[in-house]
Amino acid sequence: MKISTLFAALLILISAALPLVIPEAYLYLIGLTYLFAIIVISWDLMVGYTGQVNLGHTTFVGLGAYIAALLQTPLRIGIAVHPAVAIIVGGLAAALVGFVIGVITLRLRGYYFSLVTAILPLVFMQTVFIWRDVFGGEEGFSIAGYALFDTTLSKYYFALILLLVSLAAMLKIVRSRIGLRLMAVRDSEELAESIGIDTTRYKVLAFVLSSFFAGIAGAAIVNYRYTVGPELYDIPLMLLVILSAVLGGLGTIYGPLIGAIVIYLAKNWWLRDLISMASLPINDEIVLYAILIAVGILMPRGFFHELQDRLKH
Amino acid sequence: MIDVLLKIIVFGAVVGGIWGLVASGFSLIFGVSRILNFAHGAAFVCSAYVAFMLISSGVNVYASILAGLAVSGLLGILVYSLTRPVRKNEVMVIIVTLALALLIQQILLVNFGDRGISIIPLVKGVVELNNLKVTNMRVTSFILAVVSLVSLDLVISKTSIGKRILATSQDSEAAMLIGIDVERIFILVMVLSSILAGFAGILYAQIFAISPETSLRALIYAFAIVILGGLGSLRGSIVSSFIVGYILVVTITFLGARWSEFVMLLAIVTILVVKPTGLFGVEE
Repeated sequence: MKISTLFAALLILISAALPLVIPEAYLYLIGLTYLFAIIVISWDLMVGYTGQVNLGHTTFVGLGAYIAALLQTPLRIGIAVHPAVAIIVGGLAAALVGFVIGVITLRLRGYYFSLVTAILPLVFMQTVFIWRDVFGGEEGFSIAGYALFDTTLSKYYFALILLLVSLAAMLKIVRSRIGLRLMAVRDSEELAESIGIDTTRYKVLAFVLSSFFAGIAGAAIVNYRYTVGPELYDIPLMLLVILSAVLGGLGTIYGPLIGAIVIYLAKNWWLRDLISMASLPINDEIVLYAILIAVGILMPRGFFHELQDRLKH
Repeated sequence: MIDVLLKIIVFGAVVGGIWGLVASGFSLIFGVSRILNFAHGAAFVCSAYVAFMLISSGVNVYASILAGLAVSGLLGILVYSLTRPVRKNEVMVIIVTLALALLIQQILLVNFGDRGISIIPLVKGVVELNNLKVTNMRVTSFILAVVSLVSLDLVISKTSIGKRILATSQDSEAAMLIGIDVERIFILVMVLSSILAGFAGILYAQIFAISPETSLRALIYAFAIVILGGLGSLRGSIVSSFIVGYILVVTITFLGARWSEFVMLLAIVTILVVKPTGLFGVEE
């Protein structure tokens, strides 16, 4: 057995045993962090492996969340399916929207994909306000009583298992022939095309898969915290995803996973308190954006790549 | 009916002129340095906020406006220096400029709140056109915007510095080979474009209210305009800014402001499906 496999098994054991030692309030936060990590690694699947910058990943998180929430609670549109079905439908709906956007923008080279995806979250956020009686406006709505689980402990294990399954699936994808082709497209689109890879098709495929996992994560978040709201579409969440992935190192899956856990816990655990203690005219988002700019310029390949290089020399 | 039509014609021209100032700079930066400057909307709002802040603390109005434009220009230099080390890395250029845009937006939000500000119009009074009252400020803005856009186009197409800018945008390596200091052209274009966006912000704040969120809206309109006009084509973006201006005013008149993002996305997607190179675009 390889050392890395042993190490992974140890980490999984530790995470599974965490509820024995950690108080429930923190456990809740850690579970939510796992779901956030799914969003980050699914972003890396698209951006890190095809080199196409998706600036609207939260569109798919929000879509999955709202669709699952609407299907689960009979109080909004009079439908009540089983939560597990609702979560999968949420993921599929996100994948479908990803497919349509991908087919239109990814057949074009250059920046069109980034420009269009940058607008998507803002457009979808407006739907929440335009159809207020369905989506609940800025306050969103609650699905309490119709969610998948109702104790913190069961929710924690649900989040952990969902993360492990998604992680395994995405690792399988990037290590397969599909993953190799995606990287070929990223490194040189001309070369990839000349050896017979249908570049548009593989970019769209990666985008659909990435959107699917984001939708599933969004739907799972709703089942985790019982509320859905427009902040799941919003730009601050998008930038948090980007920061986690860039800090971890694009195109590695593991790096963004670690980045996601570190950043999400830091933001929600102590960063805000630390900044309000400093009593400067700034908030935690300003600090995170400044970190993102610094990381992007100083170590664009991510913290873990950088660390590896330093250790070698 | 004729009243509504006249209103749309007049206001669409004003709005188109202002967004034209933003989009032409965005397009110019992209054309010359291949940088998608997501922080371009920040130059638009920053100048207005600086001018507003100085005016309300009693500084002369014209000096305040000049200071606002100067801050926009400095922002251009900031974007230039932040993107310089990662210019070859398209992914990081997008991420760094987007993070800068949101950083500035948050700083404005923390210090001024989200209520929005406006600057007292420099030109007072109204003209009446067939029962439609149009403030002189709107007329002035339209004229100033058109004059700026036309002079920008003349500078680019007629002067020697403009020729150097064009050469750099066509092929920056070849431009370097014939002795053009490409880096200086990059800075010049970045500063000039940011000042144009800042000028648009000053005009906008005298007609409407500007809030930190306006920077993102300005960016979306700039996207729509440059995609319609063809990515990198200056003349294309000048013409299409008026088309987008009219689309916007029609949307707001008949559907409401909430729909403007929707309609912009629809317009962009339609263009990408029908004619991806835009109206005046060049094949890359």
